[in-house]
Amino acid sequence: MNAWRLSSRLLLRQGRSGALWMLIIGLGVAAAALTAVTLFTDRVGRALEQQAGEVLAADLRISGRARPADALEAQARELGLSTARLLDLDTVVYSDNESSLFEVKGAGDGYPLRGRLQVADAPGAADRPADGLPGTGEAWIEPRGLRALSIELGDPIWVGEQALTVTRLLTYEPDRGDGPFALAPRVIVALPDLLDAGLLGPGSRARHRLLVAGPAEAVSAYEQAVRPTLDDRTRLTTIRDAENQTSEALDQARRFLAVAALTAVVLAAVAVLLAALRFAEAQRDLVAVLKAFGARGAVIQRAMLLMLLGLVLCAAALGALGGGIGQHLIAEILAGNLQEPLPPVSLAPLPGLAAFTLLLAVGFALPPLAALRHVPPMRILNRSLDQRPRAGALGWLLAVAVALLLPVIQLGQPRLALYVLGGSAVLALALALAAWGAVRLTRALAHRVRGTYRFGLAGLGRREAMSIVQTTALGLGLMALLLLMVVRTELIDQWRASLPDDTPDHFMVNIQPDQADALREELAALGVEGLQVRPMANANLVAITGETPPDDAFTGQVNLSWIDRLPPANVVREGRFWSPDATGEISLASRWAERVGVGLGDRLTFDGGGQTFTGEVTSIREVDWGSFNVNFFLLVTPEAANQLPHQYIASFRAPPDRLEALDRVARSRPNVTLLDVGALVDRVFEIIDQVSRAAQVVFAFTLAAGLVVLLAALEATRDQRRSEAALLRTLGAERRMVRGGLLIEYGVMAVIAAALAVAGAAVVGGLLARELFGFDYRPGVGLFALGFGASVALIVGAGWLGNRSVLQTPPVRILRER
Amino acid sequence: MTREHSPSDAADGAARPLLVAQDVGFHVEAPGGRLDILHDINLTLMPGETLAIVGASGSGKTTLLGLLAGLELPSTGGIELAGTALERLDEDGRAELRRRRVGFVFQSFHLMPSLTALENVMLALEIAGVDAPRPAAEAALREVGLGHRLDHYPRQMSGGEQQRVAIARAFAPEPALLFADEPTGNLDRRTGDQVAELLFRIHRDHGTSLVLVTHDPALARRCDRTAVIEDGRLALQPDAATPA
Repeated sequence: MNAWRLSSRLLLRQGRSGALWMLIIGLGVAAAALTAVTLFTDRVGRALEQQAGEVLAADLRISGRARPADALEAQARELGLSTARLLDLDTVVYSDNESSLFEVKGAGDGYPLRGRLQVADAPGAADRPADGLPGTGEAWIEPRGLRALSIELGDPIWVGEQALTVTRLLTYEPDRGDGPFALAPRVIVALPDLLDAGLLGPGSRARHRLLVAGPAEAVSAYEQAVRPTLDDRTRLTTIRDAENQTSEALDQARRFLAVAALTAVVLAAVAVLLAALRFAEAQRDLVAVLKAFGARGAVIQRAMLLMLLGLVLCAAALGALGGGIGQHLIAEILAGNLQEPLPPVSLAPLPGLAAFTLLLAVGFALPPLAALRHVPPMRILNRSLDQRPRAGALGWLLAVAVALLLPVIQLGQPRLALYVLGGSAVLALALALAAWGAVRLTRALAHRVRGTYRFGLAGLGRREAMSIVQTTALGLGLMALLLLMVVRTELIDQWRASLPDDTPDHFMVNIQPDQADALREELAALGVEGLQVRPMANANLVAITGETPPDDAFTGQVNLSWIDRLPPANVVREGRFWSPDATGEISLASRWAERVGVGLGDRLTFDGGGQTFTGEVTSIREVDWGSFNVNFFLLVTPEAANQLPHQYIASFRAPPDRLEALDRVARSRPNVTLLDVGALVDRVFEIIDQVSRAAQVVFAFTLAAGLVVLLAALEATRDQRRSEAALLRTLGAERRMVRGGLLIEYGVMAVIAAALAVAGAAVVGGLLARELFGFDYRPGVGLFALGFGASVALIVGAGWLGNRSVLQTPPVRILRER
Repeated sequence: MTREHSPSDAADGAARPLLVAQDVGFHVEAPGGRLDILHDINLTLMPGETLAIVGASGSGKTTLLGLLAGLELPSTGGIELAGTALERLDEDGRAELRRRRVGFVFQSFHLMPSLTALENVMLALEIAGVDAPRPAAEAALREVGLGHRLDHYPRQMSGGEQQRVAIARAFAPEPALLFADEPTGNLDRRTGDQVAELLFRIHRDHGTSLVLVTHDPALARRCDRTAVIEDGRLALQPDAATPA
């Protein structure tokens, strides 16, 4: 008999074998989890790649808070390059009834130099390439902007002092580039309209851009000529830089989802191993007979390999189907927040995923199957002569190597993979230890109870190792899902509730010095609570104790403020805070000081609009950033007001019945932007909620893998359970006792796994609350009771379904067993 | 629990048979058609009587034991155990009858590995509904010479000791009838003899009827009667047909 025929017969004959199906399902779940993540990130990746060439809407971009000099534009034109100017700023846009924060873009002639704007003429209408730009007095707005302002096409809006008419829906801008999520809707207007909107006072946060495009050599020459002339407040970005940023963002998303999928893969690998061991055990008699009839070990080994290939094909198909559904769900959940519709699913990653499934099978299923070649033919005469060799070093080495290799392949970074593996291993070990303790406890308890209870509890102890593996696998899957539920609901709700009643809910920014006093009076008259009006200067850090500062995201342009006393939500950690009449002193937030490497006694020099301020660091503060007060990394003594150009920023809590009046106050000063922090926080949490839901899809695969481990373990112990059931029935036990025993065994296992999952989710939730949100989390009874109940029902249900055949075992079976 | 029979029952001419098999046949459906395993088995066992069932491998001995114990129902004919027709009972009814009247000893012992010797015996007593299983289990284990091994697990015992626990488990609920399937088959000669001695001592002391399936002629000779199965048919040995 050749290996092909033998493998096909084995597959056909074992078609009804539970272990065979467990092998396929285990491999399939692992493949599905990774397929879902890979297909989804592939779609996002292709969406970003499609935009990569257009991500700047140009070949080169010069940007800064100050308008790039005309000379830069002239130099580009001299090289035969096209140019265009842009102005971006975040501001509140008003309609007759509503106001909302928008990202406003003022587009100059020629924009975009690469890619095209897409517009639609009505909500839901097909979009088309735009013919030019908004004319003077026109605005093109994102569809969700219509909803935010409760307006329709043709309605007026106000951007600063400019009244504009909404004439088109903006469906695509090439250089949007905010990553997958954007907080504020966007509107595009003619550049002159935005320049005349009165929003560009001193200290304005507007960003000016000069776009350049043309032949690659000319662009390169321009870059080389211009780059050395730019000051450190101006940034030059090429397509190459933009692509790097894009791929980094995609890599982060991919890694996050891959980490989630890996837990499913690891659990599925356990299920594959259990099923393969069971399947191999069931083949020993057949292999002994074949060898007695003259089959060579090599043929048997080849047959097993071929059979495994067949299984991998089935599993890969199953995984592709499940993964396809999974990625569709993730995309649907995130659809509301994705800026662009994703491109269709590509089948290109599927061969790689099939190879991955093969690798998983080779690592975890091949060793026990390949070992069948060593079954002695004497087994057919005397089973005791079939000494099972312990898994060879090579077999274990293979499994361990694959287990290590999978995360490296998926995450791309050995160190990150090691962290993930290490973290998972520690978590799994903690769960396994807890499960071991609980199983030992039930075993001790089994000695103290009677009948059905003794049989059920002893069942856990009888299969101790298997019970621990099952409990750990299920506990991990359940914990991941519960934790995401906790984050989505309780953590966010409790964080909101933990904020003091007078927590500011509105910010007013870009207040000019001559407006500050009047605004303070008007706001006080409106009855706002907790009003703080603080100066803010945007300056360059030019020296640290005479040295040039390190190039860091925290240095360069910084915001600083001055005050004569320690502000609320600040505590001095080192040094002392200055007295009201002090001068030339600086106080730093500890995070900034640590990041930049500055300490007490250092002297910092700032340059704002050509004027400088120098002071000595005399205190380091801890800042409660979650307090929603206006806080600054850098505080200086009040004489800086005379040295640095500045504006003011106000924070307060507005009475709910005075919001319209507040709106009027803000509208009366077009340069001032009013931010509804509550609405922004709502938007952030909406995104957290959707990302959590998407991650839940991936973790559902983890739970599925946990259930497969449970079923594979059931399959592996089915013969033992049948014997026990037959024995009890022979001794006269009623079916109900056997059933009760199984229910107790699974009930106890479910309670342990669910309790571990609930406790784990509560502990990790508590850590998240403390470390990320800064409050003490109190686990809610309702959610955890629901999670606990659902977990128990799920495990008992799965155990029950998997054990139905055990209850049908006829007692006469006991006589047939030797 | 009270004993419901005594050795003198056998000598009592008015005593009713404990086990009656009448025209029992058993067949299974196989791919090649019906496969007859047993034909026209007629057999009566009086209280206190011992019976050995012998025959070649595959002759149907174990199947007959299963039918007599109510583990399966015959395809034809009927079996009456302790005055109850088995075919009139469903599976749970037959389980209840076994619980009250029948004990088992198996060739492979079939002890629960995660329970101690004492707990294995107690489990059978609990199934039988005994109110205070612990003293009864301890007494049974002491009677088989394992009073010092109560808290040992099966894996900590020799084969002979495990079989003695299985015997204690079988007779602790004081069944009227004890079925033993090759009880010495997995033991060496000397241990096998000790286990056989133990079985017959229990039979004598408790008046328990005994049905043994065995390959061992010496063991079969110790029984009141020996039934030989050939080609699925039963022949009672004439030289041992008389109850002891």
